[in-house]
Amino acid sequence: MDPQPEPVSYICGDCGGENTLKPGDVIQCRECGYRILYKKRTRRIVQYEAR
Amino acid sequence: MVAWGQDSAGVDGNSLEKKGKLESDYQHLRELFKPHVESFDYFIDAGLEIALMNIKPTEITDSSTGTKLRNILFFSSPDLLSPEREGGRKSMREPVFPYECRQSGGSYRGKFTAEVCFQYNDGAVIRETFNFGFLPIMLMSKLCHLRGADPRKLVFHKEEATEMGGYFICNGLERLCRLLILSKRNHPMAMVRKSFCSRGDGYTDKAVVIRCVREDQSAVTVKLYYLQNGSARLGFWIQGKEYLLPVGIVLKALVDSNDREIYVSLTTCYKEKYHRERGAVGTQLIGERAKIILDEMKGLSLFTRSQCLHHIGNSFRPVMGGMETESYSVVGDAVLRDYIFVHLSSNHDKFNLLIFMLQKLFALVDSTAAPDNPDALVNQEVLQPGHLITIYLKEKLQEWLSKCRRLVQDEMIKPNKNFDFYNLAQVKKIMDRNAGTVSRAVENMIKTGKLASSSGLDLPQRDGMSIVAERLNFLRFISHFRSVHRGASFARMRTTTVRKLLPESWGFLCPVHTPDGEPCGLLNHMTATCRVTSNFDSQGFVKDFVKIRMSITKALIGVGMTPSLPRLERAGPPEVLFVLLDGCILGSIVSDKIEKAVAHIRLLKLSAISGIPADLEVGYVPLSMGGAYPGLYLFTSPSRFIRPVRNLSHHSGGDTAIELIGPFEQAFMEIKCADGGDGGRSDSFPATHEEIHPTGFLSVVANLTPWSDHNQSPRNMYQCQMAKQTMGFSSQALKFRADNKLYHLQTPQSPIVRTTAYSKYCIDDYPMGTNAIVAVLAYSGYDMEDAMILNKSSVERGLCRGHIYQTETIDLTKKSDKSGKVLEIFAKSNCPDQNSELDADGLPYVGQIIHPTKPLYSSCNTLTNIPKTTPMKGSEPAFVDCVSLDGTTKSHLQKVNIRLRRPRNPVIGDKFSSRHGQKGVCSQLWPDIDMPFSAVTGMRPDLIINPHAFPSRMTIGMLLESIAAKGGSAHGQFVDATPFSSCSKSDGDSPSESDSLHDYLGRLLTSKGFNYHGLEVMYSGVFGTELACEIFIGPVYYQRLRHMVSDKFQVRSTGTVDQITRQPIGGRKWGGGIRFGEMERDSLLAHGTAYLLHDRLHSCSDYHIADVCRLCGSILTATTIQRHKRAVREISGLPPAKTPKSYTCQACKTSTGMETVAMPYVFRYLAAELAAMNIRVSLNLKDGSNI
Repeated sequence: MDPQPEPVSYICGDCGGENTLKPGDVIQCRECGYRILYKKRTRRIVQYEAR
Repeated sequence: MVAWGQDSAGVDGNSLEKKGKLESDYQHLRELFKPHVESFDYFIDAGLEIALMNIKPTEITDSSTGTKLRNILFFSSPDLLSPEREGGRKSMREPVFPYECRQSGGSYRGKFTAEVCFQYNDGAVIRETFNFGFLPIMLMSKLCHLRGADPRKLVFHKEEATEMGGYFICNGLERLCRLLILSKRNHPMAMVRKSFCSRGDGYTDKAVVIRCVREDQSAVTVKLYYLQNGSARLGFWIQGKEYLLPVGIVLKALVDSNDREIYVSLTTCYKEKYHRERGAVGTQLIGERAKIILDEMKGLSLFTRSQCLHHIGNSFRPVMGGMETESYSVVGDAVLRDYIFVHLSSNHDKFNLLIFMLQKLFALVDSTAAPDNPDALVNQEVLQPGHLITIYLKEKLQEWLSKCRRLVQDEMIKPNKNFDFYNLAQVKKIMDRNAGTVSRAVENMIKTGKLASSSGLDLPQRDGMSIVAERLNFLRFISHFRSVHRGASFARMRTTTVRKLLPESWGFLCPVHTPDGEPCGLLNHMTATCRVTSNFDSQGFVKDFVKIRMSITKALIGVGMTPSLPRLERAGPPEVLFVLLDGCILGSIVSDKIEKAVAHIRLLKLSAISGIPADLEVGYVPLSMGGAYPGLYLFTSPSRFIRPVRNLSHHSGGDTAIELIGPFEQAFMEIKCADGGDGGRSDSFPATHEEIHPTGFLSVVANLTPWSDHNQSPRNMYQCQMAKQTMGFSSQALKFRADNKLYHLQTPQSPIVRTTAYSKYCIDDYPMGTNAIVAVLAYSGYDMEDAMILNKSSVERGLCRGHIYQTETIDLTKKSDKSGKVLEIFAKSNCPDQNSELDADGLPYVGQIIHPTKPLYSSCNTLTNIPKTTPMKGSEPAFVDCVSLDGTTKSHLQKVNIRLRRPRNPVIGDKFSSRHGQKGVCSQLWPDIDMPFSAVTGMRPDLIINPHAFPSRMTIGMLLESIAAKGGSAHGQFVDATPFSSCSKSDGDSPSESDSLHDYLGRLLTSKGFNYHGLEVMYSGVFGTELACEIFIGPVYYQRLRHMVSDKFQVRSTGTVDQITRQPIGGRKWGGGIRFGEMERDSLLAHGTAYLLHDRLHSCSDYHIADVCRLCGSILTATTIQRHKRAVREISGLPPAKTPKSYTCQACKTSTGMETVAMPYVFRYLAAELAAMNIRVSLNLKDGSNI
């Protein structure tokens, strides 16, 4: 059996609250019920082309 | 001395002082969008209701029972709601904001319901509410949630602070209805057209045409044709077919009259004593023509009104829907009411108008009056979105009613169904079935721009009614709303007369702002000051045209008009002039008194309390010899162009009053313009009006070109084109947008040299260029032929840096199973080593870089559970800017918008332009050390252009801009470069203004120790030697155009080929090539470069080695041989012998004749195609040595 995928956090498009969703979850803000969510910027190091 | 610089600096200082922008700051911008928003407001407030009132009731008769049962349907109380969330909780109405529609690809629309009244026989009226689905709502209209929002609230709702509205959102796309030119409503126009002759035998090319518009904005065009025998025919269209009636029948059918009265009415405009005098439109032939018209009636033996009505009813009953059972005279009345002069309600008015049109027609035939030009703005108006939707919705509702009638009747005929006609619930159920089609049709019209209409709605075209409002940059966005199209049918016409710039359009349509090429002169733009009359008065109430007309009539009678009721007065021009108000003959004024009357009406126009609207058009056509047909034509109608001018005769509180004038009256008015020469006006015609500012005849975009009055005019046209292709700040709410493609300039600047329009229209909120230091010199040869050298270090510091934002909308519901059981959702494989580029939800990390062909997302089928990745499209890397999840339609993670950012820094081949039509391509990114430098300041230019760009193009404005910007930046102030400002500011006291402008700019430079002419001593960056001459150098506002090599380059040696011919395919998207055509081939032939030719056309194309049979000469008969002997040889252990020829000829049954021949593959294909047609191709092979 595959390991459980880790949840990803999103920002609500209306109230700005943070939501953490697992695969299969309904796309809706828990606070205000808004249905457009934005992904947060990654915490990973993003390497830019530095030439 | 006028200080150019201080003026604008003062304006900007004020706006900077304010902390936040106020609503009033954007009022000039909002004004530009009024024609769209106001017309839709009219649709909401009044248009919808009027349209419903004008829908004909339908009757359903139950024939099976024998009893006559009636079901009269008519509408009342329409209800259009603001956009709300669909499927939300019923108790709470949740508003939907435009931002959400853009993000989720939805439509901004509101629920449309209306009540339908049912009545059985003469019983009680029962009202039933019907839901007609959702109608698109225009942004910023009265039903939009953003209406009246201040900039702060707009930003809160993730909109631009300047949001002007005027468009619809359909499927996430912003679309607007195009403003189309139509012929002026309710105004009879004399026309000469060849095509009129083809109406039938005896028809001439002359006619008087009137486009009559009803109260609900639907129109019927009536044409009055002149016949060779002197009579006339009245033509009008019913259901796509033209019907022609002898004019006498209509005259007699309209009112009870006798031959004598018609004869006298027609011949009033001819008096012997005025013969050949100025303004005499009648000739003695009119009497004979009147006799012919009356004789025609005698021939048809129609003498009385009832006979004529009977005749009309008899011939039109089959085409009048729903009147099959009515009597002939009722049908005749209906024809007159519904098709002839529909803008008038009274038959007496119609009769008078018909007489007037006949007189105008006869004047046209006798050439005592000139034909009207349908291409001139004088005879045109504009189609507004609200009106278009009103008439379209009306027709769709009418269609729905008749369809319902058919459906109910079908249901009644069916024998076994237990359908009860008396049960209203059952009838309603049938009608409810396709009620949604009504609003769906309207939405589709906006989505596709196509009118799905059987009648054509009396409009010139059926598609292209709507366009996408691209937000490439702010100016392009504005221009869409200010553009006026002449009509798609004219684009295909060979003649160029419609494209001509006519003097009549002065002040209404911009002469500069029209594209060159195919749509030149057809797609025009309204000037900055031009407005369109609306159905709303200045207080924001819907105009009551009946009341307005009453007060105008009263005022006219007060100044000496003789009212025409009930019959026309027995006189005509030049003795008296007829007064027409919106195509209705009010009466006549004696020609001596008319000038005074016109002046009086104009004064009443200016006062608010007179009850006469400020946008009344007073078209006084004076008496002339063979000129336009004289008369006083008044218009109060909506959709006319108007613009403000100063009325010199009227002073209110020391200031002259602003009057709104239309193109029709403008042609006969004396308006002076401060253009330096007063328009060549002589003293005999003193000016009564004055232009507010000479720049009033330019569009918003053309107004932004600094000192455009110093440029050659085509250069200003090019600038208008290029301003709309510039990369700039396309949107301030960029973060919340999901457009397919957005261009964005990273480091824009505000121009140092600017016009007053720049701050008036808040262009600083959307800057579009950079103040680059431009040196004009021939350096290194890389600036030849409009190429330009960019300073590499400047580019590295951020000059003209840009991005392209591309949003990919991925909707997995389309890939999912239709049943809805098996879903396709975003998910990632759980194996840790696979696609580590993607996040755990199957989507990319925000901020990460994705290289070409690397996965963009990963999705998984819920049934198979096998994740699969989809690679990114395109050949260049992109950054993930934003990932938004959309759960508005589906609750699972199935729809996302991924916004990718592609950096576009200036590279060789990118296009740039100044604001003076001087475009160029970057040819080198030259290192800073190799650039020339100034002897005094040591400054190196950002950009080098060639001096040859100036002499032939004569863009003096660019030179002025360079000097002015240099002076302005040295003094720390913005410089005002409004065109024609020297003419309007001076009152003739300063000696020569153009000199003093240059002098002012020159002294700006000398005061800071610069050269007066903007020249500087420079040193070569390469050799370190002083350049032989002084170099012209200064800052010029440069725009980066959206055409970039990264989007356009095409390269190929081998690659994808066509399936059938095996030749390379075309198209950049698929890695195709550029055609090496016949002319290119010829040039290689001429050069004798055979090897190269062979390489291009054979090796790199469809090179093919074919097996040909020498014996039969066929290339199609070669087949492979099955080798079965091979196994035997291997067993015996012998070394394999020379492999036999693997092909054999199917026809000759031998492989002896097989040869290999190199040839283009298409030849083989040709042979195959010919074989299919029973033609054999045989090759005659010879040894090469024998040739």
